[in-house]
Amino acid sequence: MSTPKAEKDLHLPLSRVKTIMKSSPEVDAVGPEPLYLVTKVTELFVTDLAKRAFKNSKNNFLEYKHIAEVVQEDDTLDFLREIMPRKITVRQFKELMAKKSSRGDESDETSEESSEEESSEDSSSSNNAETQNS
Amino acid sequence: MAEKLEDLNLPLTVVTRIVKEALPDGVSISKEARTGLAKAASVFVLYVTSAATNIVKNNKRKALTGQDVLEAMSDIEFDRFVDSLREALELYKQAVSAKKLASGKKKDEGEDVEMVEDE
Repeated sequence: MSTPKAEKDLHLPLSRVKTIMKSSPEVDAVGPEPLYLVTKVTELFVTDLAKRAFKNSKNNFLEYKHIAEVVQEDDTLDFLREIMPRKITVRQFKELMAKKSSRGDESDETSEESSEEESSEDSSSSNNAETQNS
Repeated sequence: MAEKLEDLNLPLTVVTRIVKEALPDGVSISKEARTGLAKAASVFVLYVTSAATNIVKNNKRKALTGQDVLEAMSDIEFDRFVDSLREALELYKQAVSAKKLASGKKKDEGEDVEMVEDE
């Protein structure tokens, strides 16, 4: 092909974005123009989120927690809160649960999952639990 | 729909490239940060799609348009992306017409050209 693709400025694969869009129940046809825009804006979104998270970081090292912090503190990122919770250590989690039960709080808004953390991720403890901060 | 789970994920290498371009040289990014951003991007695709689809349905139409996506950005409070998006859309439309023009010219010259939609 001698003429360059109209979507040459994109990194993300259009076919994959289209697959994701079509997994949404009410979506019918996805034409090339809306597909291009959704792909483009997703790239803008990743760029924006990465830059904001980077502001929270130190030593030129961007970690998950820097992103989670941005997500938890910006209401427009509410849709991400469940998939990007802040992570806390097991000790912190136990303290949190102890506080809740002493307050007679019966609602269980926290979920405990242990995540496989790379040892370089966390300098304090190697056991981590995920919790919802709401 | 026979999608495998990985089909709903965006490729990690590509997401990493986008992030590296966004940040200054020499920044390290943990694997967890990269996978987190990749997941966030997938969820964002669904989020925008859902908002745009709502607009389509409200207008009693079926096919999603570029304009629906632009309007959706305001609905989900991502107005800050709208200007860049409009610019990008203009360039995209120009590129598409240029392509069609080029294909049209080839046809006039008597070559067999198969016009394939980029999808």
